Amino acid sequence: MSSSTSTAWKGHKLILALALGLLGSFALAQDVTLQVPAGLIAGNAATIGTNGSGSATFYLVGPAASIKREVELGREISLAAKDLQAAGRYVAVVCSSNCTSQVFFVAPGKPVDLSFIVHPSRAPVAENEAISGVALTFDEFRNLVVTPSTVQFQWSTKGSNPMSRSSQTREGIAWFRTSSGKTAGPLQISAAIGNDVSTRRVVQQVASIPCNLRIKGQRTAKGILVETEPIRDCSGNPVPDGTVVTFTARDGAKMSTVDAPVKQDVARATILAKGPVTISAASGVAMGNELRLSGKE
Amino acid sequence: MKRTLPIVIAIATVTVFLMFVGLTSVGQSRGTVGINSGGALPGFSSDTSTPEKALNNFLLDVQKRNWGRAFANTDRTSDAINEQSFIQDWVGSSGGLRSFSALEHFDTRPLHATDSEAQIRVHLHWTTPVGPVEDVRDFRLRHHDDSWKVVWDETPRPNVPAQIVPVNYLRWDLVTGNGSDEWGAHNVDAPHVRIVSMNAVDSSEGVVIMGEVVNEDTVPAFVNVNAILLNGNGGTIDDESSFDKILHVLLPKQVSPYRVDFPHISLSKIKNVRMDVKATLVPASSDPVIGVMNQKLETDAQGHTVLHGELMNESGETVNIPHVIASFYDNSGKVVWVSDGYVEKALLPQSTEAFAVEIPQSVAGKVQNFHVVVNQYSLERS
Amino acid sequence: MQTRFHKRVEFAALLLTLIAGGFWHPALAADSSPGVTLNVSKANPRQVEPLTESAILRDYKFAWGSLGAALQSNSLAPLNGPFVGEAASHLAAEVKTQQQNDLTLRYANQRHKLEAVFYSPEGDIAELHDTAEYDFEILAGGKSIHSEHAVVHYIVLMTPGADRWVIRHLQAVPQF
Repeated sequence: MSSSTSTAWKGHKLILALALGLLGSFALAQDVTLQVPAGLIAGNAATIGTNGSGSATFYLVGPAASIKREVELGREISLAAKDLQAAGRYVAVVCSSNCTSQVFFVAPGKPVDLSFIVHPSRAPVAENEAISGVALTFDEFRNLVVTPSTVQFQWSTKGSNPMSRSSQTREGIAWFRTSSGKTAGPLQISAAIGNDVSTRRVVQQVASIPCNLRIKGQRTAKGILVETEPIRDCSGNPVPDGTVVTFTARDGAKMSTVDAPVKQDVARATILAKGPVTISAASGVAMGNELRLSGKE
Repeated sequence: MKRTLPIVIAIATVTVFLMFVGLTSVGQSRGTVGINSGGALPGFSSDTSTPEKALNNFLLDVQKRNWGRAFANTDRTSDAINEQSFIQDWVGSSGGLRSFSALEHFDTRPLHATDSEAQIRVHLHWTTPVGPVEDVRDFRLRHHDDSWKVVWDETPRPNVPAQIVPVNYLRWDLVTGNGSDEWGAHNVDAPHVRIVSMNAVDSSEGVVIMGEVVNEDTVPAFVNVNAILLNGNGGTIDDESSFDKILHVLLPKQVSPYRVDFPHISLSKIKNVRMDVKATLVPASSDPVIGVMNQKLETDAQGHTVLHGELMNESGETVNIPHVIASFYDNSGKVVWVSDGYVEKALLPQSTEAFAVEIPQSVAGKVQNFHVVVNQYSLERS
Repeated sequence: MQTRFHKRVEFAALLLTLIAGGFWHPALAADSSPGVTLNVSKANPRQVEPLTESAILRDYKFAWGSLGAALQSNSLAPLNGPFVGEAASHLAAEVKTQQQNDLTLRYANQRHKLEAVFYSPEGDIAELHDTAEYDFEILAGGKSIHSEHAVVHYIVLMTPGADRWVIRHLQAVPQF
């Protein structure tokens, strides 16, 4: 090897050595380790072990908070219960001359809270699978409990025996579906885990579409006063006040209509017509009888 | 500063001049080809030597609200007609739509004339808070003492007799609650409203989407219908709302027509229509109950097919601005058109008011049935 | 005289030094827009409608973009809208404590593989599994103290809001 080549090769070796040295410096500096205990549960205090000596800065980054604290290496780092309330993924970092990190998970606690969503808030009576509910299990700190739990659903109306169904949660969720009853009124629905945790909701079962619409009428000084008989649905429940009934009167080539609301089970309207007139009524898809009145004398 | 002041003065002078011209020339009637228009002279002419001139002067007085002069140029057919009732007939009362309107311009068309009598058809164009409204009216004129006068035979509205009307209408109030924010605790569903029919047609002004919507719930709903036009690629061409062409507050089981207009768009460009109905809980009242009496489809003097009728206010509350929305069906029950129109006069308690809505000639032949609903606006409730 | 081989070795060494010295800035390779895919075939008891599927996809992508922006800039504003309930309160608390401790987080090159596992009968609750992959970095005072290429499993609860689907719950788990 010539001297110039040898000199150049020495220079390259120096550069290579520097590069490897830098890489090596990282390896040499990774001498602080963190010992995180397994099986951490939300809301429970914990300690993280460290080795080495000297002071360092400790960071904890979690789903709902971050911490920065000065610590002594070689001693345990205490984490308060409130530092670990949120279930999820945490990163613990200790930095002295360089930084070391450790990833760990905090699991939810046992289920002590339920979110219970029921639909609809108003359900027509006698409708198949009209009502459904979803229950979600949470721990004390509103972490979703994904381990299976048994949720007991129960529903009842006034004066009737309660019905119930059990369901196992999957990924923190249990659900049910049921048909509405035949009687209008409040339906109480509850979801419970064990004897200590329960939530209640109310669904108003309301009358379905009007059925058997019948009308009667007579001429008065102001016009023809027409009214319905008490309007009920096909299960016998009175339709709610405010339900609109459309009265139609045909008088030769002319037609008159009035959209009148039901009040105390009956809808009433006044129609102006002088000659012979045929009157009918409709509400929703229910059609009533026809009423024929002779002309005004 | 020396250069700025003259410029400012010049700008101010020009502005004042333009304002003066604008104010004094307002209300000039505009012409339509083939139809005589009102005289556009800023200075009023007292020439009533011809029926057209007399009517033109009369309407200009009405436009400028020179009621004394306008009333003086009428030939009254009844002693019951006084200047007060004449003014009320033009400016409206009881907060009706006419009270907030102004006569923008008018177009006249002579129908026939003899030496002593003439009849002239006038298209009155009003500007109103709900948009431009056109009113067609036939005026009769008589020749008296070398001048023509407008025959005024509008009988004053009969007074509504004093009476007690029980206020027992149904009301719904909405309580939002002040409880905790717990998920699922405040479970009051939005009203269940469903579109029951939809029909898309081409019209002279563009695409029209129309149909009916029903409140299937047991509580009142505030309803709005939106339509989105999609092209062959699924991309959106346009989206519009029904605006006022729908009965916005629907009581339980109530049906309303709706109409969504897409101006300047052709049906041939549309591959699909996506409908969306939004319903929210609102406080509401079932009063007033408005009957729609003596509805009849007729052809008017201009050859248009018009649905006439009378609105009857069966309650004790004045309906300031009634709005009529009519749906027209063919023999299979399909909605083939939806028309709407505002009634310019307020609907007093226990009284009636006439209405008319027009349907296009292209659709008139298909109409077998119709249904009218009435939207209403009351100042007391605003 | 330098041979071509020596020049190549010299260049390689220099490059290695630069990498080891940490001059390679993650931001140079950052992709600010998360990539999201969604599989709804396993959703039950209700089938996810096509419009709902595209809405969830769009809104989830937007939510993670907002999350990254909020935690990188320590600002609460991006969190308004895409997050409600516990997700919103947790992220807001995270931002506030980061501000106090002069910490920021970076989520770069996000890829989310979503799978719908529950869709309620009324269509008002969706539970999803998110296998998220991203470059995650923690900076203290602007200096990187932790960086990793992370694959994280999230259980996500989404509910429909006024004009979008919102994330109500976002919880990382070791595995599904």
